[in-house]
Amino acid sequence: MADEIATLISSVGLTQETFLVFCILAILIVGAVVVIITSRPILDIYPYLNPSARVRARKGRLFDEKQISEIVETNDVEEVENYLKGIPEYADVLDDYPLDKALDVERANTYDFVARLAPKDIKDPFVVMSKKTDIDNIKSLLTAKEVGLSAEETKELLIPCGSLYDDLESLADAESVTDVITSLDNTEYATALEDALPQYEDTKMILPLESALDKYYLGKLLRSTDVPSDENKQILYSYVGTQVDVANLKLIIRAKEDGLDYDAISPYILEEGYQLREWKLKDLMESPDVTNVVSGLEGTKYANALSDAIPVYNETGSVAVFEKALDTYAADYAKSLSAKKPLGIGPIIGYLSQKESEIKNLKIIARAKREADFPNSKIMEMLI
Amino acid sequence: MVEIALGTALAAIGAGVAIGFAGLGSGLGQGMAAAGSVGAVAEDNDMFARGIIFSALPETQAIYGFLVAILLLVFSGLLGGGQGLPTEAGIVAIGVGASIGFAGLGSGMGQGMAAASSVGAIVEDNDMFARGIIFSALPETQAIYGFLIAILLMVFGGILG
Repeated sequence: MADEIATLISSVGLTQETFLVFCILAILIVGAVVVIITSRPILDIYPYLNPSARVRARKGRLFDEKQISEIVETNDVEEVENYLKGIPEYADVLDDYPLDKALDVERANTYDFVARLAPKDIKDPFVVMSKKTDIDNIKSLLTAKEVGLSAEETKELLIPCGSLYDDLESLADAESVTDVITSLDNTEYATALEDALPQYEDTKMILPLESALDKYYLGKLLRSTDVPSDENKQILYSYVGTQVDVANLKLIIRAKEDGLDYDAISPYILEEGYQLREWKLKDLMESPDVTNVVSGLEGTKYANALSDAIPVYNETGSVAVFEKALDTYAADYAKSLSAKKPLGIGPIIGYLSQKESEIKNLKIIARAKREADFPNSKIMEMLI
Repeated sequence: MVEIALGTALAAIGAGVAIGFAGLGSGLGQGMAAAGSVGAVAEDNDMFARGIIFSALPETQAIYGFLVAILLLVFSGLLGGGQGLPTEAGIVAIGVGASIGFAGLGSGMGQGMAAASSVGAIVEDNDMFARGIIFSALPETQAIYGFLIAILLMVFGGILG
């Protein structure tokens, strides 16, 4: 056998050393190909491993249905607060702030946490989401100045988080809404606010300013997601896009309830929606009433969620049922997205969405507990 | 320069492939499991012991590769000064190295992904520990097949005994 191999090697004109070199080269080439092929999936999932574990740890500490029921069963808002003080996530913030502000701070901290740990490829949308705190603070500041609150009362309204907090706190003693807007001219919100300022000066209502901020935020959020080049970005684009569509729909439904027409609504709508494109949004804005808006959604993924709420709307006449239906749909959709990429963006979206729902639910419970004899069954119905 | 028979030189390549690729798979797998575990420990200190267990699981592939490489080095005469291997046994040795090397690479990577995912599941829900171990142990079988074939090749290919 050895002789045959030696003959074979020499018959092709190779020495033993050359044959060895060929063997080594062949192994190196095969090895390189194997490494390149196998490392691809590793490179895709590696950046998500640490963030996934961290958000899943926090997801495991979110309230389950039993805990939510226990909170709903409390007798008053003080008991709600005491219950939350027993939960490490909320104990720290409740030591420093009253309940509502503590919940706002916890939400802002959650967005900051996710924006910090999100892998580079998908970081931008989460950074934009974390700026929601700044926008909420600007809105509070504008509201405070519109109703003429003192500097101290204004500071009470601000959430002590966000990149602009120090600047905004120093604006608490501004004289007027216009002064606040002028002082913000070195921020990214300047253009949006200045464009809406003439409308404010005409109407003396801050609604155009608030809507301009919302539109700026949603536009930036939608544009922050790149072309969905891989599955993680596709999931992120669906998540962000659904949020934009839901915000547009809420605005249209509320505007139709107030009897506003296309010309009045269109300046506040972000035309470049996700599933609801410009032409569809135009159709919806031109609908005569809320029921027609819902029927106009036939064929879109929002149709079922809103159609189911029509009987309750007809009974109560409140568009809040549609808003709750949209919130529930957005939460369920985020939950379905979170299961798609367990070693990718899935857990991050799942945690963020569920944490947001938890905080919204806690706010609903706290508000209900401040009202005398508010039935627990009614609270359960209101929860997302 | 030391005179080495062609068969022994081929066995040396086999040993390199065995530990090289098995170690690569093991390292990637362990890196993934450790990355997940660090994230879990950052949120929950009690996860340290369990994180270590899951991070250690993909170590086995490197151990198989190391063991096969040592056997090849000893029985090819590179270690211990024994007789060199004939050329045909040297070619078998490359097969031995490829067997555990590539099986260890795939197994280690798979186990790393399963272990990282299990750590995430456990930190979310403590009851997932046993099931996480079972799922993470599944990709071990490919390395065991590779190791078994490597031993059989060494026994019946004239390298051992």
